Amino acid sequence: MKDGATGVEAAGHLAVSGVTKRFGAAVVLDDLSIAVARGEFVSLLGPSGCGKTTLLRCVAGLLQPDAGRIAVGGAEITKVPAHKRNVGVVFQNYALFPHLTVAENIGFGLRAQGVAKRDAASRVAEALRLVRMEAHADKPVTSLSGGQQQRVAVARALVVRPALMLLDEPFSALDRKLRETMQVELKQLLREVGITAIFVTHDQEEALVVSDRIAVMNAGRIEQLADPATLYGRPASLYVLDFVGQSTRLSGRVAEAGAGMVTIATALGQVRAAGNFVPGSSVVVAVRPEAIRIDAAPEAEMNRIEARVADISFLGSRTQLIFDVAEPDHAVVELPRLPDGLAPGAMAPLAFRVADTMVFPAA
Amino acid sequence: MSAVLAAAPATATRRPEGLTLLVLPALAFMTVVFLLPLLLMLWSSIRGPDGFSLSGYVRVLGDGYYRQVMGQSLQLGLITTGGALLFGYPAAFALARAKGYAQVVLFALVFLPLTVSIIVKSFGWGIILRRDGILNWAMLELGFIERPVRMIFTEGALYAGMINVFLPFMVLPIYSVVRMMDRRLPDAAATLGASPWFAFTRVTLPLSLPGVVAGVSITFSLAVAAYVTPSLLMGDRFMTMSMVMAKAFLNLRDWQLGAAMAAVLLFVALVVVVAAAVLQKRLSTARGA
Repeated sequence: MKDGATGVEAAGHLAVSGVTKRFGAAVVLDDLSIAVARGEFVSLLGPSGCGKTTLLRCVAGLLQPDAGRIAVGGAEITKVPAHKRNVGVVFQNYALFPHLTVAENIGFGLRAQGVAKRDAASRVAEALRLVRMEAHADKPVTSLSGGQQQRVAVARALVVRPALMLLDEPFSALDRKLRETMQVELKQLLREVGITAIFVTHDQEEALVVSDRIAVMNAGRIEQLADPATLYGRPASLYVLDFVGQSTRLSGRVAEAGAGMVTIATALGQVRAAGNFVPGSSVVVAVRPEAIRIDAAPEAEMNRIEARVADISFLGSRTQLIFDVAEPDHAVVELPRLPDGLAPGAMAPLAFRVADTMVFPAA
Repeated sequence: MSAVLAAAPATATRRPEGLTLLVLPALAFMTVVFLLPLLLMLWSSIRGPDGFSLSGYVRVLGDGYYRQVMGQSLQLGLITTGGALLFGYPAAFALARAKGYAQVVLFALVFLPLTVSIIVKSFGWGIILRRDGILNWAMLELGFIERPVRMIFTEGALYAGMINVFLPFMVLPIYSVVRMMDRRLPDAAATLGASPWFAFTRVTLPLSLPGVVAGVSITFSLAVAAYVTPSLLMGDRFMTMSMVMAKAFLNLRDWQLGAAMAAVLLFVALVVVVAAAVLQKRLSTARGA
């Protein structure tokens, strides 16, 4: 099961195909397919109720899908019970065994699998070293801090050498500062081990930090599966655009179309963008906040509109400007430095490249 | 009132002591209705017709008949506790894991019997167990037996009745522990390669032990001192310590004998309670809590 992948590798180390799961009348996973390459880090990103944790539980064997196939390393495991799958899981809030010490928690899987005592002891010691918890080996897990508990949970899952690692909101129990440190630390640790990892998260920033690719989920389906830069720069839908990062969004109507370009009339002025729409169709124009600058005389191939500043927020490394537009439109710009003389109430010229302008059909 | 509120922060550290005073009324009540009679009873157990005497204890512990009664009481306590644990442990899990409507129904099933008077219950058992009762009729009709079997006034019927009466006292403490248990722990064990049996014996069972210890000690203490249920279901055929005590006080007017028996029963209960407390302490230190 672990090393049987040869010809099937192309299909992915983890291959989920056509998986459907219903709870009563609710379809939680809807004919979902995803392939993850060996050693890859993929995040399942979406709001609560989108099915991401259900998918993780199906892959771990803790839930049985109603339809579809799941394969790891080329071997189908759809009907294999959880304890024979060799799929490691780091649970939300970690689910450490409260009656066992740190070392006993980490050694639990080895004992369960009947690994010889001396062998197990050296592997536990190695795992403790890996997560830098040697000094805490004999402490009860209930005495550990959140970050330490997470390390124990990771070591406990890694020590049995799983074919795949699933992490369910692994950082949600940590405070913000610790979370950022642990994200980088855990990513480096898992890279070092060379394991394939799937993160479940509702936090888009976390997904951007830890993943090679991100699957944005919506109502039991994958809306878009792409690397973070593509997801941010070229979201496949308004849903993805909204879920990942901020954006200026202006609703409008296509005025002219031709040769793969469209001109859209918005409340703030005409905007040009690449796209194929029939004149007259309702669309939403979107631009990322850092792609916009305040510039009264932009060069050609830039869109230029005007809007009134509603609010200015200093965010440290950048300054955020919110503009006065009618709902459901939203206009936000982020600048490294606030131009002189710009204050709430002032009209500002906004310029952004045509190439940075995205168009989506109106929802 | 406002002065008290204003002074509150200053006396904050002394608050717990103030609150412990609230136990005084209960303590006074218990002293009058429980502790004093208890001491009087212990006093009676060593007071013979001619002053101090241990003859009560000598009779209770030396006489073959009373030894048999004590043996029967302990046996009744052990079998009732064992049976209640056997049925109660899985029931407590079902109760803790059930949701919504199912949980309400299960709760009612476990606890409704507590609200039914023991007299009513024993009449019910009579209807089911007697020679021309429902159970004999059903087994005859189905051809399992050729002639009615004697069930009422048998030890089997007594144990069934005792388990019925004391089951809730086993279920409730286990339920309250299981309910607090993280339900993902068995999942975590499974993903680490643990078979369901391994996960149960190494995770679920050890974590439920505090509830089991509490349930066992409560059920055993109550069952070993049982009076009403064995009297109604067995009468004089199966004497327990409590029944001997009642006889000694009410019929024989032998206060010293009854008090000595009561002291022995008290000792058994104390041993169980102390052992349970020690066990609980060790279970929680093993957990590092």
